[in-house]
Amino acid sequence: MDQIVHSTEAVMDRIRWGYERLLEEEAKELVWMVQYNTIIKAYEVAEKYVRELGYTAEDIEEFCFALENTQRIPYLIPGPAGIYISALCNYASEEEIVLKLSELKTEINLVGFRLPKGKHLMIEGDTGDFTGIGLEGGELVIDGNAKNWTGAGMRGGKILIKKNIGLHTGEWMMGGEIYVGGRVRGLGNIVEGKVYEREKLLYPGKVRYPNVYY
Amino acid sequence: MEKQNFQSIIEQIWPKLKKKHLYPEIPMPRVREASEKKEDEPTEDEDVGLEMKQKQLTINGAFVLQMKDKMPQEKVIEALLDHGITHYTFCPWDFHTHLRLYAAAKKVVGDKELAKQVSNHFIDVIADTHCVKKRSTEIPELHRNLKKGMIDEVIASLYERIWGIDLGISPSKLGVKGRTDIVRRLARIPYLDRSRWGESIQKFARTIKPLLLEEQKEKGAQGGKGEANPQGEHDLNHYSSEEIDQGLRDYARQTMTLSEFKDVVEDFSDELRGAGYGMEGGIGRGHGDSVDADMLFYMKLAENYSIPIKRLPLEEKGSLHPHSHCPWEIGAPFQDVDIWTSFGKIMPGFTQLWTKREGKGRGKIEGTPDCLIVIDSSGSMINPRKSLSYAVLGAACATNAYLHNNSRVGVYNFSDAPMGGKDILNYTNRREEIYRVLCKYFGGGTALELEDLKPLIQGKKKLDLFIITDMKITNLEALIGFFGQIQNRVTAVHIGDNPYATRFEKAFEKRKNINIYTVKRTEDIPHIVLGKIREYFNPTTSKNS
Repeated sequence: MDQIVHSTEAVMDRIRWGYERLLEEEAKELVWMVQYNTIIKAYEVAEKYVRELGYTAEDIEEFCFALENTQRIPYLIPGPAGIYISALCNYASEEEIVLKLSELKTEINLVGFRLPKGKHLMIEGDTGDFTGIGLEGGELVIDGNAKNWTGAGMRGGKILIKKNIGLHTGEWMMGGEIYVGGRVRGLGNIVEGKVYEREKLLYPGKVRYPNVYY
Repeated sequence: MEKQNFQSIIEQIWPKLKKKHLYPEIPMPRVREASEKKEDEPTEDEDVGLEMKQKQLTINGAFVLQMKDKMPQEKVIEALLDHGITHYTFCPWDFHTHLRLYAAAKKVVGDKELAKQVSNHFIDVIADTHCVKKRSTEIPELHRNLKKGMIDEVIASLYERIWGIDLGISPSKLGVKGRTDIVRRLARIPYLDRSRWGESIQKFARTIKPLLLEEQKEKGAQGGKGEANPQGEHDLNHYSSEEIDQGLRDYARQTMTLSEFKDVVEDFSDELRGAGYGMEGGIGRGHGDSVDADMLFYMKLAENYSIPIKRLPLEEKGSLHPHSHCPWEIGAPFQDVDIWTSFGKIMPGFTQLWTKREGKGRGKIEGTPDCLIVIDSSGSMINPRKSLSYAVLGAACATNAYLHNNSRVGVYNFSDAPMGGKDILNYTNRREEIYRVLCKYFGGGTALELEDLKPLIQGKKKLDLFIITDMKITNLEALIGFFGQIQNRVTAVHIGDNPYATRFEKAFEKRKNINIYTVKRTEDIPHIVLGKIREYFNPTTSKNS
């Protein structure tokens, strides 16, 4: 048991350390704007720290809970935290990752960012804004609700939201499919790709305007 | 016959067990035969091997007999006792830890029954793991041979993983793939790190919750009770009255949040009522109607603070002698228990206390007078039943201080007194009645009816007054005038600073019998000295002045 606990602790320490470095480099002022450039830059920094780590899906899950429960992590900024978690998922050795986050009080933004082809990420619980943006062929399943800008800029792959989804869904998406089990609150300006609501094709279709409220 | 046999096994192994567990203060375990079972007890008697009441471990003979084909009786008994002893020596250790773990689990699962199950499983995992890791024990063998339900299978598989011992759980037994995931997640928890139990039980609860829900569903479908815990159930029966008392006190101090305390106390209300905490029936009078969690919170929190009282030369002379009996209630001092009429037992409603009276003698002795607590419960004060009220806490501390000195306390709780917003309690030493009036909240305007106060003070030269308010009183000038006339010792506590408090302070800055304190934080409460008269406290200064 000691061995399991110690190795878990060591991995968690390294994951925490990487996140703290990311915050130091990217969110010094505790204000972090979601812009294309900042996301790309933050992801590059996150990649730098995550690439060398050896960890499992359980470590990622534990890190998500540690973000809001432990005193050891200085602060939770949903943007960088989501980018960092996405990088952890994308660089994990497992192809299939299940994160049981239904007990998490915070809805993490940007989960599933750039999920590559061949990866299957399943989140149990709700996610925040910008879920699955820039998806790169992976399969993202959210067993819960997702907020606004889901699938924005995705290039390929599949997003399945089992419950409801917010506004600007699929904004500037260039390919791939979004399946929503519940209601879609509003679509964004979609370039290419498909959006389904309860198995009914919503886009391309007779959507008069983006952001139509149902 | 079997009972005698089991008892002799216990007597034989008990010295070895005591040595192994570093001589815990636990009485010799007993054996209960199946025939001793009461009629109203559940039928699955053979499924529970151990009972723990206060510190008495009782082995169920029927369970041991049922296990005899699987493992030797000595080993079954030893394993059960190892488990039971570890609950007292490691986890949960005390009632406070038990409550803390339960509260942490409840935050995750949100349901009373589920939280109790989670904390019970967690406590068992810790106790068994501690025992396996630190002592030589037959617990693994017991687990190998126990009848297992769905959750037991998962926990046994966890044991295999963290103990590195084969318990005969085949991967196919775990069935669904999700369960191996659960075991993997559970194995990451640092069970033996006491400092992280709070965080660990939340992780444990999150992981095991789907299984518990599944089991609950199955139970509901079958319309029956679930599997009994063969290693004994964990409830308040484990703890003595003093341990429950201490646990509640520590928990109130640690949380300092009324809502959290209330939540936990209400969840355990049935058990607490059984332990004599039924406030409506009076503390210490057996089963009451309900546990007033708000009152209990202030009662237990106040016990953490000790306010000194300056004693006063009283007219009465002589030393105290036992005069009459009164029933012992939880929280009352043990030194006054009459062990002869209580038959050596500490039990609310049964145990009796000596009430002491002063005898006749010569000369003046120092004593503590009775106290009248005047408490403001107007709209500008915090509602003590919604959040922590420093006024009620301060008044509760003063109450305890006077009652511990065998004095009586009267209460005048006021809001808009002329309009009926008041509650008056005559001098009494019944703690729960005093607390009931202190916790009352009117929430209206603030005005004192001095005519109500006069009869409470008249003719009582040696009476202390304790007033606790924010001083935002409509007829403050009348109150100042009234206090200006009396010679009694007055301790005035105001909550926070405001111009009215400044006016009050200014009016009495030269009065030596009136002492004013400000309470802004709970840390300010112990700085209050009740009945402090400046000249009494420092006679040389007063003589010089």
